[in-house]
Amino acid sequence: MSVKVKTLDDLTLPPPGADSPLSTQEYFINMGPQHPATHGVLRLLLRLDGENVREVIPVLGYIHRGIEKIGENSSYRQTIHLVDRLDYLSALMNNWVVSMVVERAAGIETNDRIEYIRTIMAELQRLQSHTLWWGVIGMDLGAFTPFLYGFRDREYATDIFEETIGARLTMNYIQPGGLMNDIHPNFVKRTKEFLEYLKPKIDEYDELVSGNAIIQKRLVNIGILSAEDAISFGTTGPVLRASGVPYDLRKIEPYGVYGKVEFDVAVGQAGDSWDRYIVRVMEMRESVKIIEQLIDNIPEGDYMTVKVAKAIKPPEGRYYGHLETARGVIGCFIVSDGKDKPYRFHLRTPNFNNLWCLTKIAKGWKIADLVAIASSLDIVIPDIDR
Amino acid sequence: MGLVNLRKIRRAKQEIGGREVAVVISPRPEQTRLGTTVWQTFKSLLTGMKITISYLFRPSTVVTQQYPENRETLQMFDRYRAQLKLVYDEAGGRLCNCCQICENACPNQSIKIEWTKNPDTKKKELERWIWRMDSCTFCNACVQACPSNSITFGNEFESAVYDRRLLVYTLNDKAGPDAKVWSAIEDPAEREKLMRKMDRYSGPIPLSGTSLPGNPSGKEG
Ligand code: SF4
Ligand code: SF4
Repeated sequence: MSVKVKTLDDLTLPPPGADSPLSTQEYFINMGPQHPATHGVLRLLLRLDGENVREVIPVLGYIHRGIEKIGENSSYRQTIHLVDRLDYLSALMNNWVVSMVVERAAGIETNDRIEYIRTIMAELQRLQSHTLWWGVIGMDLGAFTPFLYGFRDREYATDIFEETIGARLTMNYIQPGGLMNDIHPNFVKRTKEFLEYLKPKIDEYDELVSGNAIIQKRLVNIGILSAEDAISFGTTGPVLRASGVPYDLRKIEPYGVYGKVEFDVAVGQAGDSWDRYIVRVMEMRESVKIIEQLIDNIPEGDYMTVKVAKAIKPPEGRYYGHLETARGVIGCFIVSDGKDKPYRFHLRTPNFNNLWCLTKIAKGWKIADLVAIASSLDIVIPDIDR
Repeated sequence: MGLVNLRKIRRAKQEIGGREVAVVISPRPEQTRLGTTVWQTFKSLLTGMKITISYLFRPSTVVTQQYPENRETLQMFDRYRAQLKLVYDEAGGRLCNCCQICENACPNQSIKIEWTKNPDTKKKELERWIWRMDSCTFCNACVQACPSNSITFGNEFESAVYDRRLLVYTLNDKAGPDAKVWSAIEDPAEREKLMRKMDRYSGPIPLSGTSLPGNPSGKEG
């Protein structure tokens, strides 16, 4: 198999009028790296003909911090706090995947209480992430109200995290062998209140944005990603499921206590921006369902099964584990040489692949549609660059 | 093409990788007559409007903290991690015994513990407990690692300063022996003799005209 690498010749501009009836000339324009619609320091190099997008070339590296390399120079416990900073809206899931692999490698057992709390926290984080995304897509489509409402509802979830964990964004909560600290006495009560609060709000989201005729016109049949393309780009999460592939690791390889709960996987039919939008809204309802089934049944037990001060030294070998974040599959690969630091620490992050399908699906649409499509992909830039 | 009927969510089973998965399938736009579409469009706009207007009359759902106006009443959660602090026992003795486990646990080398050995007692005595807030990521690893629970995070979050070097803190205000030695001595005057006063900061003199040492960033620390 060979890969065609683009050369500069491929990118030079055709002469005026080459394939345009209006004798217009194509031009390049930079969107980003400082642009509110790219949600971070992502630079999109656009080849435009008037307002029509001919080509999108994502340029990465503006927030590369070398997390994998730093991870190779940190002990296994220290790597956890680094992965908070990948996809900061799925910080707990990122913590979980590294902990999962380290636990598997070092043969650390956890108990039911830990797994219950981890699952509840992960679903809360998914809700928190999706409410924020819902607000942001509203803003990208030109409506500022959803942005405020999304952030307002997210605040309740963030308060739950703050009370139990002590941080709102970079939490470092799920650690090899358990959790940083036990749930706060108020946690169960607060979470139930939050769910009761959120359920009518999701209906409100539907009335305010999903049902809105303008929003639907901006999303339906725009940026169609076929199931084949979605799979060959390696997309995961809501982006893949919107294309009609019901691939969800929570169902397919249940981790935590997902095997014990009833929920449906939200899938789309056409793979357009609308499906990517509505799949996430449906996912919020499923997350509420999952937490409701678990919150009353948290078993008793310790919150940490190993001594924190003791160094973790997994036996030599290669270890891999993956799970479903709010944006797709995050995989963690660790090569251990038996020392207290990983020999190789690699992360497969969902947003990198999810971003790249933009190069295909944004072609031919207007700039305004590009913003809508990019927003429906829900990319978080630090996760792409790492 | 008409609007999407959001209630039309189908439940089904789909196969993936030889497994049956229960799915909910997204609603799609329906074919409707032009008149219906126009009517639905107006209705959808009015429904959205109704929600925004209704918030005019129920502003109780505002979650924004009116900071800094509510500075007096603002309650942080007690686990909130903001400012690292040393823990003292009831007699005022410092629990930290300079074992330096936290220093090794810190992923960012944000902790440096300087100690001296007392030639008489052959015990470690703390000189400076230096915390570099500028490189701290508030990961809590130090607090978790400390075997004697001698450090904790307080929730005083107003820590902005004008010079990065002012974020280097000396956490102990007195240098000297730890609580074991301190609390064994009954006489308060004798105890005080063992301690030397420590300034809060002793790095290079910062820019921006702030006077040092002892009173960084102009506010009483
Ligand atoms: S919170 Fe983390 S980064 Fe900060 S001093 Fe403690 S161990 Fe170091
Ligand atoms: S704070 Fe705790 S871990 Fe750090 S030196 Fe003191 S006793 Fe040791």
